[in-house]
Amino acid sequence: MAHLHIENLQVGYGNKLILKNINLAVEQGEMIALLGPSGCGKTTLLNALCGFIPVSQGDIFVANRAISKRPAEKRNITMVFQSYALWPHMTVAQNIGYGLKVQKMKHADITTRVTELLKIVKLEGLENDRVTALSGGQRQRVALARALAIRPDVLVLDEPLSNLDAKVRLSVRHEIKALQKQLGFTSLIVTHDQEEALVMADRIAVLNHGTIEQIGTPEDIYHRPKTPFVADFMGADNHLTWPIQNAAITLNINPTITQAEIYFRSENALVSTRPPATNVDVNPSNMGLLIEGPVEQSVFFGNNYQISVRCGTHTIQANHDQHLPEHTPVLLRVPTDALHIFATEAGNSAPQHSLSPLSNQ
Amino acid sequence: MIHSPIHLLTKRFNKRYFQANFWLQCLFILLLALVLFGPILNLLIWTIAERWYFPHALPTQWGLKYWHQVFNPYSDVSGSLFNSVFIAVLTVIVCLLVSVPAGYALSKQTLPLRVFWMLLFLLPQAFPNLTVYINIARIFYDFGLNGTFLGVIIVHSVHGLMFSIWISVAAFSTTDPMLERASRNLGAGPFYTFFHIVLPQAAPGIIASAIFVFLESLDEFTGTFFVGSPNISTLPLLLYTASMEGNYQIASITALILLVPSVLFMVIITKFMRPDMLSKLGK
Ligand SMILES: Nc1ncnc2c1ncn2[C@@H]1O[C@H](COP(=O)(O)OP(=O)(O)O)[C@@H](O)[C@H]1O
Ligand SMILES: [Mg+2]
Repeated sequence: MAHLHIENLQVGYGNKLILKNINLAVEQGEMIALLGPSGCGKTTLLNALCGFIPVSQGDIFVANRAISKRPAEKRNITMVFQSYALWPHMTVAQNIGYGLKVQKMKHADITTRVTELLKIVKLEGLENDRVTALSGGQRQRVALARALAIRPDVLVLDEPLSNLDAKVRLSVRHEIKALQKQLGFTSLIVTHDQEEALVMADRIAVLNHGTIEQIGTPEDIYHRPKTPFVADFMGADNHLTWPIQNAAITLNINPTITQAEIYFRSENALVSTRPPATNVDVNPSNMGLLIEGPVEQSVFFGNNYQISVRCGTHTIQANHDQHLPEHTPVLLRVPTDALHIFATEAGNSAPQHSLSPLSNQ
Repeated sequence: MIHSPIHLLTKRFNKRYFQANFWLQCLFILLLALVLFGPILNLLIWTIAERWYFPHALPTQWGLKYWHQVFNPYSDVSGSLFNSVFIAVLTVIVCLLVSVPAGYALSKQTLPLRVFWMLLFLLPQAFPNLTVYINIARIFYDFGLNGTFLGVIIVHSVHGLMFSIWISVAAFSTTDPMLERASRNLGAGPFYTFFHIVLPQAAPGIIASAIFVFLESLDEFTGTFFVGSPNISTLPLLLYTASMEGNYQIASITALILLVPSVLFMVIITKFMRPDMLSKLGK
C-alpha cells in the first residue's frame, strides 16, 4: 500500500458536498500536484487531510494506519498555508521550533534543529528577526521550515507560490523541488497553474468539481488528456465541435468519426500562407486536421504572432513567425498526434463525462 | 513669481482671512477649555483652600492642611482608597476569568445561540440602574452578602462583564483562525494552542477590557451604595458623604485621586485599542 492512501473520500460543508469520491495513492518520497481551477476543492482536500474539517465518508491512510478520525494535532501531516499563517508574536526561530517545543524536545536540541533548517531554507542569520519584518519569499521559507521541522509523514503545500511576485516565484519553485529531491519528503502540492504542476510534480492529479479527472505523469497529462476538461486545462486552447458546417476543414484520421470534441494547442497548428497545398511539403498523412480560412486578427506575442483564423462558427488560434494582414487566406495543419479527440455518440448530445478519448497513436 | 495686482489682492485677502480664522480658533479653544476645565479648576482650587466663603471669588486662606489629613494613614480616605483598589482588582480578576473563555467561545461564529448569550450580558444595563441594584440588595440580604466585599465584588463584576465580554469577543474575533490551525497542525492540542497562540494575539484587547473594568469599578457608586454601605466605603461613597456634609476639600481631593487612574489608563487604552478591533465590536 502506498504511503498516503485516500480512499473514496467524501467531504462537504453542511449539506454541500465539495469532494466526491476522491481516490489517491502517494508513494513514499513522491511529490504529487493537485491541479485544478479555483473553487474546485483543492484546499478542502488538504484541510480534510490535516483534520481541519471532518470527513463524511471514506478514509485516509498514512503508512497503513487510518487517520481520518484523529484530531488535527495527532496526524503528523503538516501544511504550508497559502497565507503562511506565521505567528507574528514570535521570532523566526520560535516559529520554526514551535512544533519541537510542543513535543517537549530539549532546548539545545531545538536550537540545533532550527539552525539546521535555517541553513536548508537559506535563512541563516535571521533567526531572531520578527516574521513581520520579512519579505514574502522569506516568509514562505519560514513556513516551509516550520512544517518540515517535526519531520512530518506527509507535507502538504497550499498554493505556496501564489502570493509571490513572478520573479521570486520561479526561484522558489525551483528551490522547493530541489529540497524535495534532497530530503525526499512525501508531499502534495496544490496549484492552479499548470506550468507549476508540470515542473514540480512527479505525478499530477487534475481536480474538477470535487473529483479527480485524471492522474498521471506530467507527460501523460500533457500529451494524453483523458477528458476534455484536462485537455482544456492543460493548455489546449483550440476547441472544435465536429462536424463543422460551412467550413473548409478536413479531418484525416483513422477510424473516421461522426461526432467529436476536438482539442489542440495553438502552437501545434502550422500556418502556411498560400493555399492550396502546392507548397506543403510535409506528408499529409501526418496531418490529422486541415483547415482553410481567412485571417481575422494577428497579435504580436513577443517571440511570435498569434493568428486567429475563421473556420465556420469557430475561431482557431495558431502561432506564426510573421505578421499576416487581415483576410489573408491561410492553411492550418495540425499533426495527428497533437489532436485530442473525444468522440461523442451519434445523435446524442452527450454530457462530457461520457466522452471517450480516441487513441492518438 | 508674478506680482500682478490681482495676485497681490488675493494674497492680502488670504492673509486677513487666515488671521480672522486664527482668532476665531483661539476663541473656540478658550471656550472649550473653559467648559472642560472650568469645573476642574474650581475643584483644584477647593483642594488647596482652607477657608472659602460665599461672597469671596477666591479662598481667604490657602494651604495643604486637608491633603495632610487625607494622606494620614488612618484617615477615611486611605481606607476607602484601599477598599476601592482591592475591590477593583478582584473585580478585574473575576471578569477576566469569565470573559476570556466566554469571549473566545462567543467569537466563534458557529456557537449556537451566540447572539442570545451576547445580549444576556447587556441585559442588566437595559433596566434602570436603581431598580436593579435595589433588587440585588434585597436578594443579597437573604444570602448575607450585604455589607460584604464579596457582595460588592459580585455587583461590580456583573456591571464590568458587559464591557469585558463585548471587548473580549471583539479581541478574539480579530485573531486569524489560520494561526490556530497552524498550531494544531504542528501537534499542539487546543489548550496549548489557546495559551500560546490565541491569547497573545488577543492580549491587547483583553488588557483594554481589564482597564475598562478597573475604571468602572473604581467609579461605581449606586451598586456599592445599596449593597456595600455602611460597612464598606469606597472612594465614590466617601466623595458622596463628604459632599453631603459640605466638606468640599475632602470631596475635591477624593475626586482628584479618582481622576488620576482614569486619565492614566485612557492614555494606555488609546495605545492598545486598534481601529480594526473597534470595528469588530458586537460582531
Ligand atoms: N468554510 C466553508 N463553508 C462553506 N463552503 C466552503 C467553505 N470553504 C470553501 N467552501 C466552498 O468549497 C468549494 C471549494 O473550495 P476550496 O477547497 O477552497 O477551493 P480551491 O480549489 O480554490 O482551494 C468552493 O465552492 C467554496 O465556495
Ligand atoms: Mg485554495
